[in-house]
Amino acid sequence: MVELREQERKTLLAIERLGGVASVEQLTKESGLSDTAIMRAALALQDKALIRIREERRSTVRLNAEGRIHAEKGLPERRLINALDRLGGKATLEKIVEKAGLEKQFIPIALGWVQRKKWAAFDAKANTLQILGSIQKKEGNDEKLLKLLSGKDQRAIEDLSSELRETVQILKGRKLLEVEEKTKRIFEITEEGWDTLRRGIKIVTEEITQLTPELVVSGKWRKVKLQKYNIKAPVAKTWPGKKHPYMRFLDEVKEKLVTLGFKEMTGPTVETSFFNFDALYMPQDHPAREIFGIYLVKSPKYGRIDANKRVLLNVKKAHENGWKTGSTGWRYDYSLKESKRLILRGHGTCQSVRTLLSKDLEIPGRYFSIVRCYRPEVVDKTHLTEFNQVEGIVVDKNLTLRDLLGVLEKFAIDIAGADEVKFKPDYFPFTEPSVELSAYRKSYGWIEFGGSGIFRPEVTLPLGIGVPVIAWGLGVDRLYMLKAEIGDIRQIFTQDLNWIRRREML
Amino acid sequence: MPTIDVDYVDFERLLGIELHKDMEKLNDILALVKGEAKLFDEEEGIVSIEIKDTNRPDVWNIEGLARALRGFLGIEKGLRHYAVGKPIMEVHVDKRLRNIRPYIGCSIVKDVKLSDTIIRGFMHLQDKLDQTYGRNRQRTSIGLYDFSLITPPLSYIVAKPTEISFVPLGFEEKMSLKEILKRHPKGIEYGHIVSGHSVYPILLDSKGNVLSFPPIINSNDLGKITEITKHVLVEVTGTLHETVLNTLNMVTLSLIDRGGKAYSATIHYPHEKLEVVTPKLESWLMDLDVEYVNKVIGLSLSPKQIAKLLAKAEFGVKKIENAKLHVQIPCYRIDVMHPIDLVEDIAIAYGYNAIRPLWRKLPTTGGMKLEQGLLNIARELMVGFGFQEVLTYTLTNPENLFTKMNCKRERTVKVANPKVQTLTCLRNWLLPNLMEFLSNNLHMEYPQKLFELGIVTLLDEKEETKTRDENRLAAVISHANANFSEIKSTIDAFFMNMGLEWQIQETVHSSFIDGRVGILLVNGINVGIIGEINPKVLNAWKLENPTAAFELNMEKIIKQLNAGNK
Repeated sequence: MVELREQERKTLLAIERLGGVASVEQLTKESGLSDTAIMRAALALQDKALIRIREERRSTVRLNAEGRIHAEKGLPERRLINALDRLGGKATLEKIVEKAGLEKQFIPIALGWVQRKKWAAFDAKANTLQILGSIQKKEGNDEKLLKLLSGKDQRAIEDLSSELRETVQILKGRKLLEVEEKTKRIFEITEEGWDTLRRGIKIVTEEITQLTPELVVSGKWRKVKLQKYNIKAPVAKTWPGKKHPYMRFLDEVKEKLVTLGFKEMTGPTVETSFFNFDALYMPQDHPAREIFGIYLVKSPKYGRIDANKRVLLNVKKAHENGWKTGSTGWRYDYSLKESKRLILRGHGTCQSVRTLLSKDLEIPGRYFSIVRCYRPEVVDKTHLTEFNQVEGIVVDKNLTLRDLLGVLEKFAIDIAGADEVKFKPDYFPFTEPSVELSAYRKSYGWIEFGGSGIFRPEVTLPLGIGVPVIAWGLGVDRLYMLKAEIGDIRQIFTQDLNWIRRREML
Repeated sequence: MPTIDVDYVDFERLLGIELHKDMEKLNDILALVKGEAKLFDEEEGIVSIEIKDTNRPDVWNIEGLARALRGFLGIEKGLRHYAVGKPIMEVHVDKRLRNIRPYIGCSIVKDVKLSDTIIRGFMHLQDKLDQTYGRNRQRTSIGLYDFSLITPPLSYIVAKPTEISFVPLGFEEKMSLKEILKRHPKGIEYGHIVSGHSVYPILLDSKGNVLSFPPIINSNDLGKITEITKHVLVEVTGTLHETVLNTLNMVTLSLIDRGGKAYSATIHYPHEKLEVVTPKLESWLMDLDVEYVNKVIGLSLSPKQIAKLLAKAEFGVKKIENAKLHVQIPCYRIDVMHPIDLVEDIAIAYGYNAIRPLWRKLPTTGGMKLEQGLLNIARELMVGFGFQEVLTYTLTNPENLFTKMNCKRERTVKVANPKVQTLTCLRNWLLPNLMEFLSNNLHMEYPQKLFELGIVTLLDEKEETKTRDENRLAAVISHANANFSEIKSTIDAFFMNMGLEWQIQETVHSSFIDGRVGILLVNGINVGIIGEINPKVLNAWKLENPTAAFELNMEKIIKQLNAGNK
C-alpha cells in the first residue's frame, strides 16, 4: 500500500471524485483545501507518479477603457460613416463630426480608418469626406469582437473563431484591448494512480503539517514528525505598500536640489495672469495666453493682486514703453484688468516671481519648486494636459552666463549622471540669453533635459530686483521616462495597478 | 512654436554651402537661430524645421533663415543693405476703417523670378505670419498680387455686406461679402474678425476691381501670383500700424532676396492728415556698453572682438566710441528691444560651448518647506501600513466628484476652455479619484489598498486668487471582507505615529453607509472623514468589493502638529 500524507490523500480522492481530471479551482471547491495546499500536494503526488500535471497556457482578452467606449457607441469610423450617410454621402468633416457627436480625440482615428477601410475618400483641401460606392452596412469582424467583449466580459483567445483571433491582433494594435496570459494547471490521475486508488491508501498519521503553540509549549513536538514541505511549491503573491515610482523619483530630485543649496518655494494652483505672464514680460496678446495656450477659470474670472502697487505700475510701463529698463517695451496699451484674469498655472515660473517679490527673499539665494502645471494640450505620447515642472532660480550680484552654464553642468552631472554636456541657444520670452542643456550618458546617448536663462531686465527691474537672476527648468518627465524605460508620457499617470505593483524599486 | 517647411536644395543654394544631407550638421547650424530639423522627407526634398523663437518672424521662411545663418557661417558679414525705390503707387484709406482695420502697407517688388517651389515658400511664409505674428489674421493679414494686372491708385475703403460682389480665390462664381462669410471656407474661418461691424474692409484698384476682402480672402482674378508673375504687389492690412509695417518688411525682404527690386507706395490717411511711405527698410541704432556685455557673459571681450561677433550675427557697427558701440540693427530684427538681445547674439556667435561653466560657492542653505517633511512622514506611514501610493490628475469632472459619489454638487474651480469633457474642473476632494482608480483595476488581485497625498483646490473669496490649495491624504481598502474596523485601525495607527490624540464622532455623509461613518477630530477640530463606502457609490463605479476609506485634511493636521510643538 502506498503511503500518502493526509492532504495528498484528500487531493487524490478529490481528483477521483471529479472523474480523474481537475483544475486547481475545481479542487479547492471539492476538497476545501487552499490552492497552496493543493499545489503542494499535487507536486508530491506527481513525484510519486500518481498524477500528471499538465500546463495549459491561456490568453484572455478584454476591452480597455477606450475599447469599452467604442463597444458602447460604435467604432469611431462607423459613427463617422453613419453620420456621413445620413448627411447624404458627402459633407465637410466638421459637419459629420457634429452629426456623429464624435469626441475630438477620436476624429483622427475615425478619419484614418474610414479611409483605410475604403469606406470614404477624404479631400484634405476642401476638408470633405465622400462615401465610396454604397456604404458598408455589414458588421466587420472588429465590430463583432467588440460586441462580444462588451461589458466587462473577458474571453479566452483560444475559444474564439480563427478569424476573430486575427481580429484580436488588429484591435490590440488599435490599443483597444488588454491581453493577459495565464497558465492553467490540470491534474490527471495516472494508471499507477488508479491502481493505487483500487488497492487502497495508507495514511501517514504521525506527520504534522503546522507547528502549533500548543506543540511548542507542551514539548509534544518531540514525539511527532514534522512533515517535509516541498519548498519549491509556488506561493501566493505579496504586494507591498510602495511609494509611487514617479513620486519617488521626484523625491530624489528634490533631495539632490536641497543638497545643492536650493530652498523649496510654493504657490497657488490657480494664478492671476500677472504672475503667470505679465511679470514675466509676456505681452498680453501673446499666443500662449489664448484659449489654446492656457486654461482660463470660468468663474470667478478675476482675482486680486496683493503685490505692491508700484510693482504693478512698473510692470505695466515695462510692457508699454520699457520703463527704466532701457528697453523699447512691447508698445501697446497694457490692461490692469487683464492682469487679474484667473488661470490654471501654466508653468512653475510663477513661483519664482512670487519669491522675487517676497520680503523673505535672500540674496544670494537659490530656490526651486516642483508643482503641477496645466496646459490645454491634446494628450498623446509626448504631451500631458497636466504635468509636473521642476524649476528654480539663483539670485546674486555678479552672476553671469558662465554661472548659468555652471548650474546646468552641475544638474547634468548630479541629477542626470551625465558624462558630457552640451549647450545650445534656446528661447523663452522671459530670459535672455537662454540656454538649452543636453547631457550625454554612455548608457543612452544624448538627451535634452533642461532649459534656462538669465531673466530679462524687463522682468527683474520692475520687481525691484537689481541683481541678475538665473532661471532654470528641468525636463524631469523626460528624465524619468528614460530612467523607467517608458516611451509614453501618459504612463506617469497610469491607472494600471498591475504595472505599479510590479515596478521594481531600483 | 512655428514649424516651417523648407526645400532642401533651394536652402543649400541660398545658404551657399553643401551639407550633403548630414542632418547632424544641419542641426548644429540651425541651433544658432534656435531651430531644429524635425523631419526630412527625402522623396519630396522637404525639411521641416521647428523654430523655438516666437519673436523672430524674420527666420520663419527659407530666405530669412538663410540670411540669418550666412553670417554665422562666415559667408557674409555685417549688415545686409536693402534698398527701396521711390513711390510708384498711391493708396487712399477711408476713415470709416478707423475702428475696423485702419492700417495698410504696400510694396511693389519688380523683376522677381518665381518658380513653383519659391511660390510655395511664399504661401508658407504668408500663412506663418498670418497665424502667429498676425494672431490668426486678427492683427495683420497679407495679400500678394500680380502688379501688372492692377491699375493704381488703390482705395482701401469699406463696403456694405451686400454692396460688392467678386469671385473669391478658389471659386468660379461671384459672391457678395456676406455670402463669402457664409460659404467660403476662409470666410467661415476668419469671418468673426469683421462680422461684428456693419461695413467690411475692401481693397479696390482705380478701375473698381476688387483686390481683396481683408483679412478674409483675395480676388481669384487679381489676388494670386504664378510662375509667370514678374512684378509682385505686397499688401498688409491690420489693427496695429507697427505690426503691419514689420510684416510688410518680412515679405518684401524675402522677395528682394529672390532677386527683385523693391519700390514703395504712398499711403494717404486724409482724416489724420497723414502720409506714410512704405516699406521702410532702414536699419536703426542702439548703443551697446562693452562693460555690460562682459558683465552678462562673464568674459573680457575687447570692443573690436565684440564688433566682430556682432558682424557674425549680421548687425552693423557704425562706430566704436570709448567703451561704447553704436550698433546698426537691421529693420527685420524686431526682436531686439534691449541691449541684452544683442548680448545673447554675441554669446551665440562666440559659441556657448566655448564659454567655461562656473559653479560659484554661494552661502545658501537648501531646504524643503517645513510641511513637506511632515507630508513625507505621512506618506511613509501609509506605505508602512501596506498601502500603494497612486498619482492621479487634479483635473476631473462633476460627474466623478459628486454624481458617482452620491453626494450634493458643490461649487468647484471650473475651466472655461476644457479640452475634453472629462477634465472640466479641479478636484475638491481626493476620494473620487481613488474610487476611479479602483474601478480601473477591477480584475487585479485583492486586497487593493491605495492612498494618494495631493492637492485639492477650493473656492475662497478671501484669497488673492479667490481659491485655496489644500493638501489632503485619502486612502481606500477594497476586498471581499473590507470593513470599518480595518480602516479605523489604520487611522488609529496613523494618529498614534503622528503623536496626535484623536476622537471620532458619528456623522451623516451620503457617500458612506449610514451608521458606519464618522468625522475625525484632533483637539476638537474636524480633520477628516472615515467610513464604509455606500454600496450605491460602489455600484456607480461598477465596483464589486466592499470598500472602506478615509480622507484627511493635512493642512489642519500640520497646524495641530505645529501648535503642539510650541
